[in-house]
Amino acid sequence: MNPNLLLVSCACLLVALSGVSAGGLVNEEVKRTVDLSTHLAKITTELVLSNQGHSAVQSFILSVEPDLAPHLAYIGASVKGDGEDDGLLEIQQSDIHGHSGDFYKVHLASSLAAGAQLKVKVEMTFSHVLKPFPTHITQAERQLVVFQGNHYLYSPYPTRSQTTRVRLASKTVETYTKLGNPSKNDEIIEYGPFRDVPPYSEDTMKIHYENNTPFLTIGSLTRTIEVSHWGNIAVEETIDLRHTGAVLRGAFSRYDYQRQSDSGISSIKSFKTILPASAQDVYYRDEIGNISTSHLQVLDDSVEVEVRPRFPLFGGWKTHYVIGYNLPSYEYLYTLGDQYALKMRLVDHVYDDQVIDSLTVKIILPEGARNIHMDTPYKIDRLPNQLHYTYLDTFGRPVLVVTKDNLVEHHIQDVVVHYNFNKILMLQEPLLVVGAFYILFFTVIIYVRLDFAITKDPAAEVRMKVASITEQVLTLVNKRLGLYRHMDEVVNRYKQSRDTGALNSGRKTLEADHRTLTNEISSLQARLKAEGSDLAEKVGEVQKVDSQVKELVCRSCQEAERLVAGKVKKEAYIENEKNLSSKRQEFVGRIDSLLDAL
Amino acid sequence: SSRLFAVIRFESIIHEFDPWFNYRSTHHLASNGFYEFLNWFDERAWYPLGRIVGGTVYPGLMVTAGLIHYVLNLLHVTVHIRDVCVFLAPVFSGLTSISTFLLTRELWNQGAGLLAACFIAIVPGYISRSVAGSFDNEGIAIFALQFTYYLWVKSVKTGSVFWTIGCCISYFYMVSAWGGYVFIINLIPLHVFVLLLMQRYSRRVYIAYSTFYIVGLVLSMQVPFVGFQPIRTSEHMAAAGVFALLQAYAFLLYLKDRLTKQEFQTLFFLGVSLAAGVVFLTVIYLTYTGEWACIHVDFFFPRHTVFYSHLGPFYAKIHIPIIASVSEHQPTTWVSFFFDLHILVCTFPAGLWFCIKNINDERVFVALYAISAVYFAGVMVRLMLTLTPVVCMLSAVAFSSVFEHYMGDDTRREKPPAEDSSDEDDKRNSGNLYDKVSLLTMLMLMLLMMFAVHCTWVTSNAYSSPSVVLASYNHDGSRNILDDFREAYYWLRQNTDEHVRVMSWWDYGYQIAGMANRTTLVDNNTWNNSHIALVGKAMSSNESAAYEIMRSLDVDYVLIIFGGVIGYSGDDINKFLWMVRIAEGEHPKDIRESDYFTPQGEFRVDKAGSPTLLNCLMYKMSYYRFGEMQETEAKLDFRTPPGFDRTRNVEIGNKDIKFKHLEEAFTSEHWLVRIYKVKHLDNRESLDHKLRSVVPKQKYTSKKVRKSYLFQ
Repeated sequence: MNPNLLLVSCACLLVALSGVSAGGLVNEEVKRTVDLSTHLAKITTELVLSNQGHSAVQSFILSVEPDLAPHLAYIGASVKGDGEDDGLLEIQQSDIHGHSGDFYKVHLASSLAAGAQLKVKVEMTFSHVLKPFPTHITQAERQLVVFQGNHYLYSPYPTRSQTTRVRLASKTVETYTKLGNPSKNDEIIEYGPFRDVPPYSEDTMKIHYENNTPFLTIGSLTRTIEVSHWGNIAVEETIDLRHTGAVLRGAFSRYDYQRQSDSGISSIKSFKTILPASAQDVYYRDEIGNISTSHLQVLDDSVEVEVRPRFPLFGGWKTHYVIGYNLPSYEYLYTLGDQYALKMRLVDHVYDDQVIDSLTVKIILPEGARNIHMDTPYKIDRLPNQLHYTYLDTFGRPVLVVTKDNLVEHHIQDVVVHYNFNKILMLQEPLLVVGAFYILFFTVIIYVRLDFAITKDPAAEVRMKVASITEQVLTLVNKRLGLYRHMDEVVNRYKQSRDTGALNSGRKTLEADHRTLTNEISSLQARLKAEGSDLAEKVGEVQKVDSQVKELVCRSCQEAERLVAGKVKKEAYIENEKNLSSKRQEFVGRIDSLLDAL
Repeated sequence: SSRLFAVIRFESIIHEFDPWFNYRSTHHLASNGFYEFLNWFDERAWYPLGRIVGGTVYPGLMVTAGLIHYVLNLLHVTVHIRDVCVFLAPVFSGLTSISTFLLTRELWNQGAGLLAACFIAIVPGYISRSVAGSFDNEGIAIFALQFTYYLWVKSVKTGSVFWTIGCCISYFYMVSAWGGYVFIINLIPLHVFVLLLMQRYSRRVYIAYSTFYIVGLVLSMQVPFVGFQPIRTSEHMAAAGVFALLQAYAFLLYLKDRLTKQEFQTLFFLGVSLAAGVVFLTVIYLTYTGEWACIHVDFFFPRHTVFYSHLGPFYAKIHIPIIASVSEHQPTTWVSFFFDLHILVCTFPAGLWFCIKNINDERVFVALYAISAVYFAGVMVRLMLTLTPVVCMLSAVAFSSVFEHYMGDDTRREKPPAEDSSDEDDKRNSGNLYDKVSLLTMLMLMLLMMFAVHCTWVTSNAYSSPSVVLASYNHDGSRNILDDFREAYYWLRQNTDEHVRVMSWWDYGYQIAGMANRTTLVDNNTWNNSHIALVGKAMSSNESAAYEIMRSLDVDYVLIIFGGVIGYSGDDINKFLWMVRIAEGEHPKDIRESDYFTPQGEFRVDKAGSPTLLNCLMYKMSYYRFGEMQETEAKLDFRTPPGFDRTRNVEIGNKDIKFKHLEEAFTSEHWLVRIYKVKHLDNRESLDHKLRSVVPKQKYTSKKVRKSYLFQ
């Protein structure tokens, strides 16, 4: 009896001590709900705190068992008023000397007067506390897991009365601890009520049961948010996914998997990821390309992606993928003058009841953003800023990098990044492009206009000169031929109108024009000769032929006159004319061929 | 743009088999730098031998892609190396059509050049190698080929060293890009040789060829993979011979100027007999030192064997089954000529005729090009690719001259030169349809139109499938994507140890290395025939014999392709006879092809199949648990018995398959890829731990006994 007595007295002493140190708080009534239906352990505790000390208290202490403490992903406390929740209370990690475990100091919004009572709701989520046992199963077997917890509320305060309700994933339970003769009803086991539990009391609760819910864990998630002031925010998440349930032992048989519905029941075929409603251009891929097995569904308030890994995930299998999308920036980016604020989720939904072991968020701000500071909803490690270079960057974009371990759904909260940005800098990139093109064109202009040859090439120069002269000759010769055609028309008109004056004047202009043109051509011919080109001879030939053509034209003109004058008969004239024109045709053809040869 | 069908239909992904290797090495190059790439020893391939990648690869492709990637990233254009690789081939085909234009312009005129550029842009024979995603040597090599030829023609025309040096640099690029450079180094000497025969020798040819041979030789030897081959191997000897001949010829011409006729003749005979003797002795020497007999099985890089098989269609078939086993190495059928070239195949002889009719130096070249390319293309489907450009060029010549002839007359009067693009003329002509000339033109245009339609159709149907991703169409026209290959490869990548060794038939080696990033035993660079034969032997032996081989090769996983569920015909059972043949080539005692046939000489997988076949590893792995599978999926055909192979349309013969040493590790959704795990040896049955009483007085202790002491 003696040691027992000692223990009791010790306990009493402890109670007294802690009672003193904590200002006489007592847990009047505690309702714990341990939700083990997924792969997380969610413990919700509703407790009625009463201040039995003499002074008002500003805060109280929540504590987590030393075994579970490393797995604590989230803790949140709220005061439960009459009806609605009052919102979350501020929580600060603290320490209590002499006791192991984690302790959190909760600051109350309003102090709790002596003798008063307060209803508080505490939520804790633990990851990786459900251990598969056996650790390896075959494809046909079901997954069994063990949970080890505490029957009592681990608290620095004494507890008057307590009940614990455990919700499991299935009815099949191998064993469970039977403290205080708990009642089991389908998936629910109820412990208690326990009365007058001293502070820091622990008693192992151990439940071994079947749980086939997906044991998916995101090993690491890198989320990159790239903000562009041109109206777009690009989000990309790189995800390492692992099935952390019981490891598959032996063969994987596709036949069984396809034919039997309960084969591989704990494996994961697909899950849903909810993206923001305005998400566009969603892509889902990995190192070797697009993953073609996904489906996208656009709902009113969200975009749902049915993410199906390339292969079903069995225990111990892992996969890796990238999912990304674009968001319009007007929904997330707020601006006031030069000040900008980006309000976005630090981490977003990947699947229900998600666990992220390690998260890295990179926020890439536009080039030239200054005075950056960040408001995070919870404590998060900030790494030194980096620089990122992408299209049209000169001095790099600032990248904020933050990391955090062990996150669950409760961490899907907004982060706000404030920064200053000079709007003039928006013009930098277009100007850069304009400048680049300007330089390019300018170089081309310079290259084309200036002569960069080291040596002079006289032959090429001569050739170019000759070419330009020939060009002139060509146009002149063509013009001359045009004159003849014009003359023909004049003659024809004359034949009808018999207006000798018109004919004469036409002839005169022809003569005059012809002379000037011929002179020009001969001068060009002289120049060609001066250049030493053998084309000069050809031009000379053209000239010769042309004079013959000219003659013919004059002849036909005279013939026409004679016809009009009635000196020749019509038949003879036509005969003659035909002769002339065929000759002319021949000559013109010769000129043409000569010109072609030029 | 029709080259991008594949990207639009599927995604930006590397196609087929070897592009995966090229992509992987480009990735290595991009992430580790050029020198690291040159010294890369790939321990992930050919386990346990490994492969010296830097020295056994034509690096031009990788360096090109890596350089583009590097430059883009330098400018902060953050493009992934994969996208560079995927879009490299279409970009280079653009350059090809430019160089084809230039070459044809040199040969004929601008109009023909334009037509040729249009043809090469859409001709299926070339598109097959240059769709987006087909990241292969040929993609850039054809550009290099055409450009080298252009520069060569240019240098023969001008006789300028400048153009020849340009030609050499282009040749160097070609050498670094593709084994087909052998074609150039034989064609150009042939051209020179024929010019000599035709008495068309000129100072220009002399300058061009002398410069080209020396500079080209030195440059080509800079490529590590080529090394000293240009002065040692037979396929380069023609070039050297022609070089010597040209020098001798030039020397003789020089002497002719200086000597009297009598002196010259004596000297000539002396020289000729001396040369003949030297050549004779060299041939004997080479034969004895065995240079000619050295046979490399190197299917990707047409080295000796493939080169020999170029010479005679039946060489490979008789000697090396592994070369014959590749469908690309089969002789070309008429159908595939028409399929790949369509109307051009009919018009190109006309072009050739035009060229020969108005012969000059460069047209001799194109005629030779055409004739040799036709021959090679007839030998092997693969070499259709070298034929395609010249067919385009010559057809363009044919079309262009026809158009010129018939449409020139009408237009001559209005504007002097009528050789400009024919398209404009067509429109002008369409007014007077009843004209005979116009009728002919219309006919030609119709042909061209049909050609364009055919090209688009072929491209979209035949050449735009990545072959890594399969697509099937439902009755309602919706598309199903079968992504089994990537599913399985990705499973390997994610869920096996980083250092496991995967055994598979060599076809899938590059894909496993590229997508699954695991060590393979054999891959598409089939340089070691005996190793492949060993894998073939493992696949075709029974399980316990195969297990021994696999143990000795440290195999952890075996990957096979099985198309029986969805009716995919390119699976391993259909390739199985080649495995047997190749294995038989190296291990004739253990594997005999005849064992795998029924007495009637048929290859059957059903009950009538030979027992050796029904119990070999490949068969068992393919059909493991398949016998239980009842085909019910919406086929409405309940008459098919369980285990009905839809590829071969038979019910399988051996349904009771059990493994002792293997275990199914993964099977993809449509059973296309099956991966088996090779189990480790079972623990020995526990022995009684009883101290052995050893007689210490024993006099004779053999080595074995002594060893067993050590182990006690």
